Amino acid sequence: MSAFGLELPLAAIAALASALAVTSARRGAWIALIVAVTAVALLEFHPTDSLPLNLVLRLAAIFGAILVALPPGLLTPRALMSDLAPRRIAATLAEHPVVVATALVGLLLGASPLALPIEGTSTLLRSAGVALLLIGLPPLLTSRYVEATARAAVITLSGALLLRAAILGPLDTLSSLVVAGGFAALLLTGTAVAGQLTKAEES
Amino acid sequence: MTEAQGALLLSALRALAPLAIALLSLVAVPLVRLPRIADPLHSAARARHLVVALLLLSGGAAFVAGAGVSSTLSIGELTINPSQPGRLLVALGGPIFAIIVAVGEGRRAGAMGQVALFGLAVIDLALAIPIGLAPITLLLIGGTSLAALAAGGKEDAERARAVFRDLRSAGVLITLTVIAELLRDSIPLSATDPAYATTASLTAGVALSLSLIVLASVGAFPFHHRLVRIFDSLPIVGSLMVGVWIPAAITLIIFSELSLLIAAVNEPMGGAVLPILVLTGAFTMLFGGVSALLHDDVGEVLGFFAVGSSGWLVLGLAAVITRPSTLAPHELVIPATLAISLFGLWRAAIRRRYDLVSLQELTGWARHTSAIGVVLLGVAFALVALPGSALWAARVEVVGAGGNAITYVAALVGAVALVAAVLRVLLVGLAQKSRDVQRTEVRRVTHPITIAMLAGTVLIAGTAAGAIDVESAASELLRPAPESTAAPMELP
Repeated sequence: MSAFGLELPLAAIAALASALAVTSARRGAWIALIVAVTAVALLEFHPTDSLPLNLVLRLAAIFGAILVALPPGLLTPRALMSDLAPRRIAATLAEHPVVVATALVGLLLGASPLALPIEGTSTLLRSAGVALLLIGLPPLLTSRYVEATARAAVITLSGALLLRAAILGPLDTLSSLVVAGGFAALLLTGTAVAGQLTKAEES
Repeated sequence: MTEAQGALLLSALRALAPLAIALLSLVAVPLVRLPRIADPLHSAARARHLVVALLLLSGGAAFVAGAGVSSTLSIGELTINPSQPGRLLVALGGPIFAIIVAVGEGRRAGAMGQVALFGLAVIDLALAIPIGLAPITLLLIGGTSLAALAAGGKEDAERARAVFRDLRSAGVLITLTVIAELLRDSIPLSATDPAYATTASLTAGVALSLSLIVLASVGAFPFHHRLVRIFDSLPIVGSLMVGVWIPAAITLIIFSELSLLIAAVNEPMGGAVLPILVLTGAFTMLFGGVSALLHDDVGEVLGFFAVGSSGWLVLGLAAVITRPSTLAPHELVIPATLAISLFGLWRAAIRRRYDLVSLQELTGWARHTSAIGVVLLGVAFALVALPGSALWAARVEVVGAGGNAITYVAALVGAVALVAAVLRVLLVGLAQKSRDVQRTEVRRVTHPITIAMLAGTVLIAGTAAGAIDVESAASELLRPAPESTAAPMELP
């Protein structure tokens, strides 16, 4: 994968989708999360000739958890078309200028060298990593909504993993397995708790 | 089956016994609840009996299998090598949680037993993996998932919010773990150019990140709110597992990691972090002890007691950074865990017998149910410990690592406040009986559950106080992560 062949669009997609995942309404946020985690996994594991097992495990765990988390009937083709319309995406981003600014600052900040021994690292991975950390951390710390917090946790952790991959390469199999389980557990726990809170408040 | 396959199967059984037993419960518990098996009215009792047996089996299997070479499982690059601290936690945790589940009874006792079984399995597995990103992540995720399981089955907003708080903490702490691992793995690369961060500054960064993980997970001040809410809202088995046992395992891993890391650095570590840790530890003990003295709700008293006890672990963290070769901090972890667990056993027994949460309504409980009073006496004994025991020496060494009189005084007052908080609850129990207490039916002392509770009290208090020597087994350093094979990417 050449640096400006696939890494650049993937880094941009990861940052954009992450911003949407923490700002969109329910269905749009889940779709954005799917796009963001796929872009992050592709950036992190660099599939070239074959599909790495760690990548498959990561995506299977997250997609599986999102499928369980999604309320039934949410992914109808018409709804998807509506959510993915450029005008809708632009409107969502325009409503949250601080998040967009944070993403841009993160991309720029990650492009400049830090005080770590990172001269051999991938600038684009680092940029995307810092951007995702900056996008995900504020809602993770402050959001009052459980599912939004779980999505923010996934975005933040993805950012940290990208930053790590920029310096040290992808995770080993065991850590990758545990982290994949972690992503799934965060999403499933978030959904379960959100459901429990809703029921408790209704009754 | 060939001899090699047989040996592999045996080592797998030995290495993964707690996990195998936890998985077995997923099939066995629903099975005994089936109406076809027996009277549907007694399905909850059957499930409770089963999980108690499985918890005892899990503890026994961990004790018998031990952490020797024959319990090491190697499959390809993956090695599961159970550690002495992990096996000790399961060997003690199995019977302790069995007693708590048996004493607590209740409709959800089967589910709580499963929470305990999986919690112990996660602890055993995490401490069997070389230190690094994977075991801490496994414990953090395991803790949050078990909190959700423990809170399930009841539409209680407070419980759900406690798990929500835990989810938020886990998200932040796992990210912090990745950052800590990133800094640690960058240390060998720091020699490539003197213009970059030095080995000492990277090590200090790792120490700071890992210290924050310990502070937040054990519920030290100012991160105490999560722990208090957990004890106030979740069932006692879930509270102990998520708020005490899993954080204890995380602490053991981080103590080992910091010991190995700082011992390899020639320059003194700590800087401003060290006095902050020392003051935080001493203040946490003081704050937890005094708050436990002032609160009326039994859950909050126990929660603040757990906060105060976590002060020892924070002081231990400071001691590891000051003297990485010392094993004293490691010896404090299990006694602190056991003392809180014994208080948890008391709470389960009180809740089962009286179903009251206010100490004002519980006056005279110890006069009415003296066996439960013995449990609280056991907590006080576990806290004070045997003078001259290894625990006392470890405490003196840990407090001494702080190196100033203020720490000594604050830690001493905090420790006294913790004992006073327990004695206050006991004094409430010795006062005149309230109407609710008077009306409560008393179970005879020869009842099997009462006998099990008293025997458990002797075991837990004796172990925590140093009368039964287990500290040495718990103080073994965990294995470091294998040398990182990842090389920095090629220069652009």
